[in-house]
Amino acid sequence: MNGKILECKKLVSLVGRNTKCYFKDKFTFFMSLITPLILFVLFVTFLRNVYIDSFNSAFSENNLEMPENIINGCAGAWLMSSILSVSAVTVAFCSNTIMIEDKINSAVTDFYVSPVKNTTVQIAYFISNFFVTFAVLITVMLIGHIYLACIGWYITVGDSVMIVVDIICNILFGTLLAAVVEHFVKTQGGLSAVSTLVSSMYGFICGAYMPLSSFSEGLRNTLSLLPGTYGVGIIRNHYMSGYMNAFAEEMRKLSVEENVINGVIKGMRDSFDANLYSFGNEVPIGAMYGIVLGTCAVLLVAYIIIVILKSKKK
Amino acid sequence: MIIEIDGLKKSFKDVKAVDGVSFKVKEGELFAFLGVNGAGKSTTINIISGVLRKDEGTVKICGRDLDKETDAIKSELGIVFQNSVLDKKMTVFDNLKSRANLYGLFGKEFKERLNEICELLDLKDILKRPVCKLSGGQKRRIDIARALFHNPKLLILDEPTTGLDPKTRINVWSVIEKLRKEQNLTVFLTTHYMEEAANADYVVILDGGKKVAEDTPHELKKQYASDFIKFYDQIEEAEALLAKSGYKLKRHRDFLEAEIKGTAEIAGVIKNNPEIFNDFEVLKGNMDNVFLKVTGKDLAEV
Repeated sequence: MNGKILECKKLVSLVGRNTKCYFKDKFTFFMSLITPLILFVLFVTFLRNVYIDSFNSAFSENNLEMPENIINGCAGAWLMSSILSVSAVTVAFCSNTIMIEDKINSAVTDFYVSPVKNTTVQIAYFISNFFVTFAVLITVMLIGHIYLACIGWYITVGDSVMIVVDIICNILFGTLLAAVVEHFVKTQGGLSAVSTLVSSMYGFICGAYMPLSSFSEGLRNTLSLLPGTYGVGIIRNHYMSGYMNAFAEEMRKLSVEENVINGVIKGMRDSFDANLYSFGNEVPIGAMYGIVLGTCAVLLVAYIIIVILKSKKK
Repeated sequence: MIIEIDGLKKSFKDVKAVDGVSFKVKEGELFAFLGVNGAGKSTTINIISGVLRKDEGTVKICGRDLDKETDAIKSELGIVFQNSVLDKKMTVFDNLKSRANLYGLFGKEFKERLNEICELLDLKDILKRPVCKLSGGQKRRIDIARALFHNPKLLILDEPTTGLDPKTRINVWSVIEKLRKEQNLTVFLTTHYMEEAANADYVVILDGGKKVAEDTPHELKKQYASDFIKFYDQIEEAEALLAKSGYKLKRHRDFLEAEIKGTAEIAGVIKNNPEIFNDFEVLKGNMDNVFLKVTGKDLAEV
């Protein structure tokens, strides 16, 4: 058998083994799933009304009143974009347990004594973590979309597809970041510490829990230098786009002038981070994808270098 | 020779884990590697198996140079680690499949080998059970099955019976003996149990990363271990007589133990002093004595 094909078959086998190991531990899977679901419940319970009020006030400033289902749906969509973008990173960090467990119980040594490349073993951890995180996030997305369908669904088919693409981009970023950071973690305690740190911080520093527009200019500019901010930005754009169009349509029905409509929509997009700015310059959505995917490429190179250097160090 | 190691060196910062070790292992033999924790046994095994890089020296396995043909060498080795490294929540079948795939065994080839291994190690009844639900002996059989799945020429056993009860230990050894007989497998063993080392064809003793002794167990015992006579009757008379002749004696509650150099010497003592030999036994020196003499350390205590 051709050497490269054989190595690919070994990679597929390792990915299967890692994924199976993960799902066999029902507690770990449950914990990975429950974290974004808790976030979802907390958002809906405590923050939903805050955002509904914010959306309403944006219109009441212009003496406009919007249908409840669009307002509710838009608040829900904003919350969903926050949950999914944060979870793509936090779940990726929490789900990387197989890599750490293999170090703890020496299963990784069992791979080292087998005729399989170290890079294949490490790439398999990354790919299986990607699949596990994707499974968790798609489950959360489906639950969230059922919720949105109940309160007000204005997301187009195109945006729905792009949301899945955005989730994939965010997971790619999250799993690569987890692979680089957690490559140095050797204990379960270390994994818990890193996961806790990321879970508690990431939502704030990427502007998922609070819109960047609510921060001071200095902090806003600093956070605009972090790639995670744009991971939130892309997913937020596609979640909110349908609702913005629905708001515009409603305003047209009320014979509101087009320039006022544009002003209101822009104001809302600015306030809720669908439009992102770095040092006063608007970052177009294409550039947001470029930043996220460019960061993924940098992280991938860093990961490969770490794996090669560590293999040589043995 | 299946293993040829010459001048092997490996250091971790200032610690010389392996310091110029050389030895050879013949095909088909049971080779025992003895040493206390930190003597350099595991480091040597890790170098042989490609987990660690050596600093100096040459390592040849099955005639292949470790520096040039690492992957080919890995296919010739099967390793049973001290602690099981299999996935505990997965079934025996899944474990064997995932590990067999790493050796390029897929589909029909895997199934055929699985049937052979199941027959050899009697695994059919436990194939669908998760590893965590198996007994200690069954787990060890799976570890051996994993190590043998790709038909290696050399089986490395890193303290395979540590922590197992005596019955399971006997079972594990009967499996290893069966493999040696039926498949002419070379077994490289590290162990803390001297009775296991005593059954080896050849023994190397390491201490502080250096080789301190090597030979067959019989020769090592001849060279380093004394024989003993135990007197259960006429203890006072025997003690007085033997003390006068300068023998090293040790008085126990109901017997006297005298250290002697060899069986020829015993014959002389019996011939000259028949009156004290009413109730006695002669014990050959064992590998514990050899280890103690060579390293100054009692393996049972370290």
